Amino acid sequence: MFTITQREDGEIVLTGRFDASRVADADAVLDRVTSTCRVNMKELDYISSLGLGILLKTQKRLKTSGNELILTHMNKLIRDVFRIARFDTIFKIEEA
Amino acid sequence: MERNFKKTIASLDGVFTFLEGEFARHGPDPATAYALTLAVEEFFTNFVKYNPESDHDVTLGVLVEGEALVVRLVAHDVNPFDVTATGPVDVSLSLDERTPGGLGIHLSRHMLDDVRYEYGDRRSTITLVKRLRP
Repeated sequence: MFTITQREDGEIVLTGRFDASRVADADAVLDRVTSTCRVNMKELDYISSLGLGILLKTQKRLKTSGNELILTHMNKLIRDVFRIARFDTIFKIEEA
Repeated sequence: MERNFKKTIASLDGVFTFLEGEFARHGPDPATAYALTLAVEEFFTNFVKYNPESDHDVTLGVLVEGEALVVRLVAHDVNPFDVTATGPVDVSLSLDERTPGGLGIHLSRHMLDDVRYEYGDRRSTITLVKRLRP
């Protein structure tokens, strides 16, 4: 089960398993983001390379206008994936 | 244990449920389970994308060999295509230069102890190995 929602304050909340079958769900929300916003991963259990690709695509688009995704509340397993992919150098990651 | 899955992205939920059941039997730590799950997703989706000539199911098997947990994915009646043979990904590139291509294989190689491709009898086999103890 994967959910992606954007709260009234703009924060995006990811929960569950972000895998290749959820790319369209994520795209539908992230493609609408036009300014800097936080992505809360507190209840995200898993992200694969396809999920990372969607975040990368969004970050590249936002950076062209001086904006960015800021990732928060990432669990240790996902943090390790970001470290191995060196995505920790291209995203601001706020500790839980 | 082995199970067959229809070669479509929609099978992923069933693949994950199968893996969770196998991991519950074999008891890997969370990092090992995560690494194998990520790699299985990567190579299963590659079978879906790069072997359109066959609509045969993909066989997924999980077993303990010595001190390692081994997962095998087999695509049947396909032409050879070694999805593990891509070159290294330069993860030091800037955001502007980064692309998602090859990221899944990069992660699999770094998170697992071995990733192998074999071809024979019109079957492509990917073997993923993760030691259960360091």
